[in-house]
Amino acid sequence: MKKERNIRIVLIVVMALVLIQAGIQLFQHRHYQIPLVAGPGVTKVTNLSDYCEGLKGTQADTLVFFMEGKEPGGKLLIIANTHSNEPAALLTALIFLENAVVEKGTLIIIPQFNHSGSRHTRPGDGYPLYFEIPTSWGSKQFRMGNRDASPLDQWPDPDVYIHYPDRQLLSFLDIRNTNRTWPGRANGALMEKVTFAAMEIMRNEGVDLAVDIHGAETMFPVTNCIVAPEKSMRIATMTSLTLQAREGFDNHVEPSPKGFRGLSHREIGDYSETLPFLLEAPLPFLDQPTGPKTTALLLDGKDPFLLKLSQKKKLFVPYDENGWPMDNRVGQHCSAVLELLQQYSRKNPERAIQVLQVPRYAEVIEKGVGYYYHDPAQTEKKNVYFN
Amino acid sequence: MYTQIGIIAAVMVLAYVAAKAAKASVEASMLAAAVAGGLAGAFVNTPPAAELARHLVEGAFTYLDVILVFSTATIFMAIVSESGGINYVVRGTIKSFYNLRLIALLLLMIIILIPGALTGAGSVSLLVVGAPVAMALSYLGIPARKVAAILFIVAGLSAAAPPVNIWAMILSAGTAIPYVGFELPLGIPVLVLGTFTVLFLGWKKEGTGDKESALEDMPKTPAGMNWWRVLLPFLVFFGMVAAYRLWPFSTPILGLPLQFVIAGLVAWLVSPTKINILTLSRNTIQRLLPLLATMIVVGMLQQIMTTTGIRGLISFAVISTPLILLFFSLAVIIPVSEGVLTYGGAAIIGIPLVWFLDSIGLHATVAIAGLSLLWPLGDGLPPTALIGRLSVMVSEYKGTYWTFLRSTWVPWVVITIVGILMVVFSAKLDFLVKWSM
Repeated sequence: MKKERNIRIVLIVVMALVLIQAGIQLFQHRHYQIPLVAGPGVTKVTNLSDYCEGLKGTQADTLVFFMEGKEPGGKLLIIANTHSNEPAALLTALIFLENAVVEKGTLIIIPQFNHSGSRHTRPGDGYPLYFEIPTSWGSKQFRMGNRDASPLDQWPDPDVYIHYPDRQLLSFLDIRNTNRTWPGRANGALMEKVTFAAMEIMRNEGVDLAVDIHGAETMFPVTNCIVAPEKSMRIATMTSLTLQAREGFDNHVEPSPKGFRGLSHREIGDYSETLPFLLEAPLPFLDQPTGPKTTALLLDGKDPFLLKLSQKKKLFVPYDENGWPMDNRVGQHCSAVLELLQQYSRKNPERAIQVLQVPRYAEVIEKGVGYYYHDPAQTEKKNVYFN
Repeated sequence: MYTQIGIIAAVMVLAYVAAKAAKASVEASMLAAAVAGGLAGAFVNTPPAAELARHLVEGAFTYLDVILVFSTATIFMAIVSESGGINYVVRGTIKSFYNLRLIALLLLMIIILIPGALTGAGSVSLLVVGAPVAMALSYLGIPARKVAAILFIVAGLSAAAPPVNIWAMILSAGTAIPYVGFELPLGIPVLVLGTFTVLFLGWKKEGTGDKESALEDMPKTPAGMNWWRVLLPFLVFFGMVAAYRLWPFSTPILGLPLQFVIAGLVAWLVSPTKINILTLSRNTIQRLLPLLATMIVVGMLQQIMTTTGIRGLISFAVISTPLILLFFSLAVIIPVSEGVLTYGGAAIIGIPLVWFLDSIGLHATVAIAGLSLLWPLGDGLPPTALIGRLSVMVSEYKGTYWTFLRSTWVPWVVITIVGILMVVFSAKLDFLVKWSM
């Protein structure tokens, strides 16, 4: 009897210690602030809640950076971390934020679009909490987030999610997925407010182009591509062909399906004048048949199972022992955004957007992503934002 | 990598076996396997030792929502039962349909199908209507073992039935296929297979009882009980579910747990007998504890299997299987993945599988519908065996779990054959999708 009691006490103590250690780590992750360095091009910083009152004071509110050029022109909105477990998007947005100089037109950047999701983990999927990018001044640490918003910020889920306004039935989880809640509504669920606020930016600011940056599995047919609806198709196609010819990487065009609602590349185009584009780069970390989910896999994309499956022709992208390193993915996104701007500006000279100082694919691979990040400790405090 | 993951998997199996040998419960043995797997993985930094505790705790929360639904739905039904409502319904069914066996069986099947079809969870069907239906079936002269079998198969089919099929939704979301056009590819097989199941297992009357003696044997209903008192809590629950379907943009999202709590309070308020709600809730949760513990530990197992690479290796093995063998092996792979990972199986195996089937020219929507018929079968398999265990619980079957499971084998095989044929001939069945749109 006494022995059993002692065993119980030991088990309770062990469980308490496990809970405390895990609780501290999860708390720290949710409250970890990533320093964002506003580069020379940033002229104004606002909050997403300025475009939807209902976001004020919530974890869904996030920073919106404006980079207004010397000359008037068109406007581009870059949306990153719609899915916070696809980090090449954030890394690409930060390269623009810290380095871009806008000559003509305006660049608007939302680096952590699903801010709540970026402070959430993915139970059952064993993600690391953080990942680090090496720079010349040390490592820059980022939170690894989740695809969906945290239930701490938006809960409960309905038994089935009914998309606004089309009434299409979607998985209950998708009500926390900011790439299923477009075009959103001001009085809807929190993530519907997030997408509504972005729609308001596009409508009020007269945004010409919106680029939503993602990553996708190598076993997913819609990867390594630009997804575009009919109205954006011409520019997307020209961009894809030019990238292939000049920079040597594939970024084919996928049409946005009309019957699949809630996605940025469908709803932005249908509910505003803006031309939407969604960029996908391969992200082996998200594939199901991989080895352990480590930060190394996240950053270099090397996996022996995927290599075998590639040899059996079961992947939708070329894959060899070099994997799909983060530098390649970010470089691909940088080039795709710059090329979209170029193609749009060529067709619409009166709404041209000219951005300088942003590297292209080959340059990012050569120097590494971290080369383009500035040391927040060495930056004037007023230019460092925490998100 | 293969050896490393293989060794960790072996450690987990050994830990499970050792715990079972030491007479630990299934849940405690699974916990031992998860902890041992995590510790073995930590030797090679997958996961890093400093993160092992976090992985275990985070994994434990994987099915928190399901746990809340189970707890609140079971308390709701316990209140309805305690008020005498279940006895009242069963008595009414026996009185009206005892001699119209075909209608009685089909009616009871539809009653089980509705809650699961609306919520996508067979467990909700069992928790809400399982007990009264089980009692009605037993008074129709069906032995408890077969009653449990009927409940298990039909509740599983209810989860696969349209409009809400969570496996199909997970697969559609993961493969960028719109969740549309599933009504006929899912609805027709569910109704046909459900009818086959209730008739095959329930047509034969065993025992010598008649209507009068059944009514005599049944527990008496408390004075003052009437149809309104029974139906009102259910009307409130389904009213809330229906309100969101009808007016989704003006109805607040309450979530299933709160909807069950509200319905439970209504049942408590209209009960003709006085019910101590706190004692009842405490006893109900105590009864549910092994099931809830299973859900918590399965989440931990899933997280450890992912972070160590075991989950990826399983998924890799499935995708690498030659096509013909793959079709045959669906009969095992799909239910087993559900038994181990519940809905996680759809993501781990289902998503790459559907991409692969789509790439070889099969029709993804029909193939998903076919696979959706196989997944619920896994809810009868350990370690989780969610629907199976609930079926045994609500039917009050006292035999061993395996005896119950064996009695499901004919419908199980028929459903498996139909599901696999739907996958193999999905391209030829695409008219079902077109007719649904």
